[in-house]
Amino acid sequence: MIEFKGVNKYYGDFHVLKDINLTINQGEVVVVIGPSGSGKSTMLRCINHLETITNGELTVHNISVADKKTDINKLRRNIGMVFQHFYLYPHKTVLENITLAPIKVLGKSEKEAKETALHYLQKVGIAEKAQSYPSQLSGGQQQRVAIARGLAMSPEIMLFDEPTSALDPEMIGEVLDVMKALAKEGMTMVVVTHEMGFAKEVADRIVFMDEGRILEEATPAEFYANPREERAKLFLSRILNH
Amino acid sequence: MLDFTILTENFDIYLEGYKTTIIASLIALVASFLLGTLIAVFRIAPFKPLNWLGTVYVEFIRNIPLLVIVFFFFFGLRFSGPVAGATGLTIYTAAFIAEAIRAGILSVPKGQMEAARSSGLTYGQTMRLIILPQAIKIVIPPLGNQFINLVKNSSILGVVAGLDLMYHADLISSRTYVTFDVYIFVALFYLSLTIPLSLGVGYMEKRLAKSN
Ligand SMILES: Nc1ncnc2c1ncn2[C@@H]1O[C@H](COP(=O)(O)OP(=O)(O)OP(=O)(O)O)[C@@H](O)[C@H]1O
Ligand SMILES: [Mg+2]
Repeated sequence: MIEFKGVNKYYGDFHVLKDINLTINQGEVVVVIGPSGSGKSTMLRCINHLETITNGELTVHNISVADKKTDINKLRRNIGMVFQHFYLYPHKTVLENITLAPIKVLGKSEKEAKETALHYLQKVGIAEKAQSYPSQLSGGQQQRVAIARGLAMSPEIMLFDEPTSALDPEMIGEVLDVMKALAKEGMTMVVVTHEMGFAKEVADRIVFMDEGRILEEATPAEFYANPREERAKLFLSRILNH
Repeated sequence: MLDFTILTENFDIYLEGYKTTIIASLIALVASFLLGTLIAVFRIAPFKPLNWLGTVYVEFIRNIPLLVIVFFFFFGLRFSGPVAGATGLTIYTAAFIAEAIRAGILSVPKGQMEAARSSGLTYGQTMRLIILPQAIKIVIPPLGNQFINLVKNSSILGVVAGLDLMYHADLISSRTYVTFDVYIFVALFYLSLTIPLSLGVGYMEKRLAKSN
């Protein structure tokens, strides 16, 4: 469903992504980990073309993301994204946040969009907040709204970039629970996170990155039991003892 | 003591100028807002030649005196006084408005653009529905100040026979040989425009702060 073939990316002279090869199949949950600055966010953001690759081949559903002829807005409809800092629209209510893209991009009627929005709000457990503004919600609630906003487009893929690392510890669980439920329903997910409990429970694969390279790709069981790479061992010991 | 007969006996003349000042200010206000918004969008659009054009406009216009711009239209292009004045005001004020709007747009977190774009909205839709509505709250106070400056700067029309308050005050002054009192009353006419404007901006600011 998502395929990186020999992908490189540079910021000027700086080589951020080095020869990335990665295939993610439908329904798979892939967790990406690695030290700060290793290129995790950049790799994720290439998938929906928030960043442009320099060379190599990156396809989603066999459609080349970097190709000038690709209708990028059409591609993006099918890929939801959740950010570390939520980025809800502060001037719109929770409901409007969720219905905006379905109405403007998919051309749904207001009524239909609202029904869908309420359905997903229910699913993430905050239907009663539909009329609130983002600033009236806790961080955990905002992030759940952001997930509902992504889901309301009925995407086939969801990307998560450290969705819990801006949250107070007591709110991390509520967001992870929503994500776990989503994973179990068969959503294709690429998740940058250091939440190892989450990775163990639902990840099909863990991808370990360092200095722009994918150093290791393994099932969680393999990865934790016996990381092959010295760097991965070091990294794991650091985050697990943290 | 202020001689109020100056005001009462020349009231029609004052009023004549007051009307022109209001009309010229209103026209320049609307036109400079539109032009300024356009230039601001030029400056941030993801297209280099437009950025360049916007920057050149702002840097060039901001750094020459308003009087010179008005003279350009009056002596250079032979516009009539009121038209040269209003055009000069528009061109000049638009540069400042563009900067205020650009600063407002840039103050909206980058993630807002990314979140909206990643949901499939186009650049134009994102600007219109997400970025500009947030920017406007930040832009209103400086924009209000620019409008107040514009009203005051409209006195430049007097220099090019622009038929405004200043021009008519000069007439009254040369006829009555009174200077001080004549211009005090002019100040009152300007205040009658700028104080409501200033209060209006304050009110909008408060309302927007509440809606957050
Ligand atoms: N727009 C940019 N211009 C130049 N360099 C950038 C840009 N964005 C990111 N970088 C650099 O690219 C590298 C990879 O960044 P990236 O954000 O992908 O790392 P990350 O693995 O997500 O790190 P973190 O865990 O801190 O989020 C970093 O060294 C970063 O400084
Ligand atoms: Mg990152």
